Order: sequence, then structure tokens, then C-alpha cells
Amino acid sequence: MKRIPAWQRLLNLVLVGIALLFFLFPVYWMINTALKPPNEWLTNPPIFFPHHIYLTNFSQALIHWGGLKGLWDSLVVSVGATALSLVAGVLGAYAIARYNVGGNNFSFFVLSVLFFPPVVVSIPMFQFWRSVNLIDTFPAMVVQYSSFTVPFVTWILKGFFEDLAIELEESAMVNGATRWQAFWDVALPSVKGSVVATALLAFIFSWNAFTFAVILSQGHITTLPYILPTLMEGHYVLWGDIAAIATLAVVPIVVLAFVLQRYLVRGLSFGTIRESL
Amino acid sequence: MSLPLAVILIGLSIYPLVYLLKTSFTDYQMLGMQPTKFVGLSNYSHLLTSGLFRHSLAITGAFALSAAILQMGLGTGLAFLIRSLGRRAQTVLVLLLIPTIISPAVVAFQWVQLFNYQFGPVDYLLTQIGLKPLLWTGSPHQALGSLLLVDFWEWTPFVMLLVYAGLQSLPEKIFEASAIDGSTRLQTVRFITLPMLKPVLGIALILRLIGVFKMVATIAVLTNGGPGIATESVSYYTYVNAFTYFDIGYSAALAFVQLIIIMLLVKIILRLMKRPGVRTLA
Repeated sequence: MKRIPAWQRLLNLVLVGIALLFFLFPVYWMINTALKPPNEWLTNPPIFFPHHIYLTNFSQALIHWGGLKGLWDSLVVSVGATALSLVAGVLGAYAIARYNVGGNNFSFFVLSVLFFPPVVVSIPMFQFWRSVNLIDTFPAMVVQYSSFTVPFVTWILKGFFEDLAIELEESAMVNGATRWQAFWDVALPSVKGSVVATALLAFIFSWNAFTFAVILSQGHITTLPYILPTLMEGHYVLWGDIAAIATLAVVPIVVLAFVLQRYLVRGLSFGTIRESL
Repeated sequence: MSLPLAVILIGLSIYPLVYLLKTSFTDYQMLGMQPTKFVGLSNYSHLLTSGLFRHSLAITGAFALSAAILQMGLGTGLAFLIRSLGRRAQTVLVLLLIPTIISPAVVAFQWVQLFNYQFGPVDYLLTQIGLKPLLWTGSPHQALGSLLLVDFWEWTPFVMLLVYAGLQSLPEKIFEASAIDGSTRLQTVRFITLPMLKPVLGIALILRLIGVFKMVATIAVLTNGGPGIATESVSYYTYVNAFTYFDIGYSAALAFVQLIIIMLLVKIILRLMKRPGVRTLA
């Protein structure tokens, strides 16, 4: 690679600075509001830096506005959907990659589930969950949320399994390993990192899911994305309290993303860019 | 071995699909008192002659164009930019990714704050530098632009991530060879890097188009499709017909048509980036 001239390096830094400012300012403003007392929420000129840290918004959000329950419900639904999609997705991806299950068009079919606008799935599923008396319960939410994470996990992991040298499994089976052992002891350990990555993404998707939450919840299971818009209705909007709830919804995801950044970047990217369709 | 997958896929995709198709030929109203009747193709003919539907298609088209041109273009640019940072690249990357990994509900809330034309920081800064404040989502002429801005903000980092990872996966040797052959950096990008990135760009475009057809949260929270119908996309139009008017038959037909459009688009993009078959154990 040729050396980059100094002026261009400086220009690059300036551009990165602008990008960071643009993409992070709305997030900053949310946190800023969450830390301001009520009389500073709406002022002209607006207050760009909180004078002191005001934490009452957070206690209000957690206790009075159901933030604590929201965190719990979000966690249960997301962990459940992630676990379910890992079991189904890992096995499914392996079956498609190695045994060509469903023929050549099956993987496109798996992918196509991702195309469904949530509204599309929600109409019949709303009817279905209502008819089996499970609407607005954890099992229904978990299964419903995984309708998008299962195909996603399957599709990404299929690419990784295909990229493994098939000879390893072949020779394991020649030496007496069962098909299950070839999968469990040979193939799976080699894609461990990608499994972590897809699990992380499935968790993020579920944690954030909005449309399903709004359509399928009737106020019993209240995930954080469900609570947010309900607080924004009415005449007197409690900006600080809502900002606190929104911040609570963001913090776990951002922390996870930083802790697992290696997986996030590698996993989403590599998996998604395999043109394995 | 693929039994759990099969069960979930059938349960969650084929069932809704069959149900949808069936319902789209009826006049089913979720809260209706009359028994549901078979109405043939009338939902579809209603849709084809509906000005509202055509309008909503145009709105979705605007989002799709913005995604295909602005988000793809600037996302790719950002990826190249980030890559020039060396060791710090990954940290900056994760920071820039925050808009993409947070909930659309949170995104919408953040922009509701920024779009406040009385007390919002953006309009304040605009007036400080001598510009006129904007009405944002409050104005029928600015609402669509405002939503395009939010969508751009939310998803450009996603394109950046995919392209960045694509760049990382290209073999270094090619660039060395190209440099030895005396090509300029611009030539390398134009004739080597970009063509090799084609599959990645294809996937990014597919995922973005799917996203455009799914968008409900941003519109629901920021504009409710308004003012008037200024920001009513196909997905939102379907959502309203289903869950505000409970006109399930009609919204099923709408949903079905959307599905066909997106499938066609994806098939076309995939056709442009085909790769040879893979070996199997069976």
C-alpha cells in the first residue's frame, strides 16, 4: 500500500470527527435530557450541558413508569428468543450446508422469511395467539420474536459451515464418527466465534423489536420499546423520564457491543457478506 | 436434524403466508359483525385503483432511492475512511454503529427531541448561524425529508459496517500487486476494490431494501404518516389498514403485493451476483 500523504491524513481525521458528531449527537442529546431537571427540559436557548447530574428521572423511569419491569420483560423475551434461534438456527444451518436439506431453493426460502414485513406476520399470528389463548404471554412473544432471528441465524451460519473444509468431517466419519459427532465435535467448535456473533445479533434484534411488541402486547408484557411511545402520548410530555427510559434501553446494547466488538464486526460482516445464497 | 428449524419456519412463515393469501380474497374485518365473505380479487383491484396505495408506493420508493444512493454511497465512503484510521478503526466503527444497534423506538424518540422547532437544539443552532429554523415533521413539505434524514442516520452505519468487513476480507496481496504495477490509489479502488466488493454491496443493498419495506416504528412515532398522508409509506399504510381500520382482507392483499415486490427486487440483485455451487456431505 502506498503511504497516505499528511494533508490527507488530517482531512480524514476531520471527516471522522464530523461523522462522529453527526451520528452521536442525537444519542448525546437523549442522555443530556435524561440528566436534566424538569424546568430545563424545554428551554430556549436549549441547555447543551447539564449543570449538575439530576438522577430523579431515572428513579421515576424505573419505578413509576415501569422501567424495571420493562428491563425484565425485555431480558426474558430476548434471552428466550436468542436461545430458541440458536438451537433451531445452528442445526438448520448445518443441515442446509452439509446435507442440502430442502434442495437448492430452501436457503432462499429461509432468507425470504426475513423479507416479511413484521406487519405481514403479525396479522395472522395475532389471530393465532388469540385463538390459542396465549396472546401477550412470554411463550408467544419468544416464539414470535424468533420468527426473524431464526432465519437470520440460519442464513449467516450456513455461510460459515460452507466455508469449513468438508474434509475434516469426512475423515472423522471415515474413522467411525457418527454424523452427530461430526457436527458436534468437529464442525461446531470451528464456528464457535460466529455462533457467539450471531447470538449477539439475535439478542440485539430481539431487545430492540418494536413492531411485534406494539401489535402483540396488550399491556401485560411490556418491553422497553413498547413502553417508550406510550409515554410520549398526551399533553404534558415528561421528556426527562422518557429520555431516562430510552437510555436504559440503549445502555445494555451499547455495553454488549463494546465488550463483544470483535464478534460484532466479524460476525455480522463476514456472515452477511458470504454470497452464499 | 433440521426438525426444529422446519417446525419454526413452517409455523412462522408458511402458516402466515397461506393465511394471508386466503384472507386477501375475503372481506374479513377483525371487529366486524357480519360473517366474512369470499370477495375474489376485489381487494386487489381496490389496491390497484387506489390513489393512496400509489402514493404510499412513491413514498416507499423515495426511501428506497435514498437507501440505494445516499446510504450506500456514504456508507461505503465511511468504510474507506474508517479503514485509514489503522488501530483506532474498530473503536470508531462501534461508536458510529450505535444508531444502528439501538431500538427504532429510541431512535424515533431522539429525533422527536431534535425536531422540536420551539426548543430543539438543531433549530437553535440554525438560527445562531443566521439560517431560518425548520418545521421538520410539522410541515408537509419537510416531513418526508426529515424521515429520510432519520433513516439515513440510522442505517448508513450499517452499510459502513458491511463494506468495512468486506474490505477486511480482501487479500492484501492484490493491492500490493496493483501498487507494483504502478496504478494510482484511485485506479486501485475503481478497478480492483469496488469490483471485488460487489457481493458485499449487493447484500447491503438487499438488506437495506428489506428494511425500507419493514419500516413502521419511525413513521408511527415521528409522523403517524402525516401531516395528512405526506409520509405514509406502503408498510405504514398496511399497518394502518390492519390495526387502525381492522380491514384485514385489504391489508392482507397489500402485504402480499409488498412481499412480491421485495422478492422480485431481491431475486434481481441476487442474479447479478451469483456464485458457483458448493459441495455437500449427502
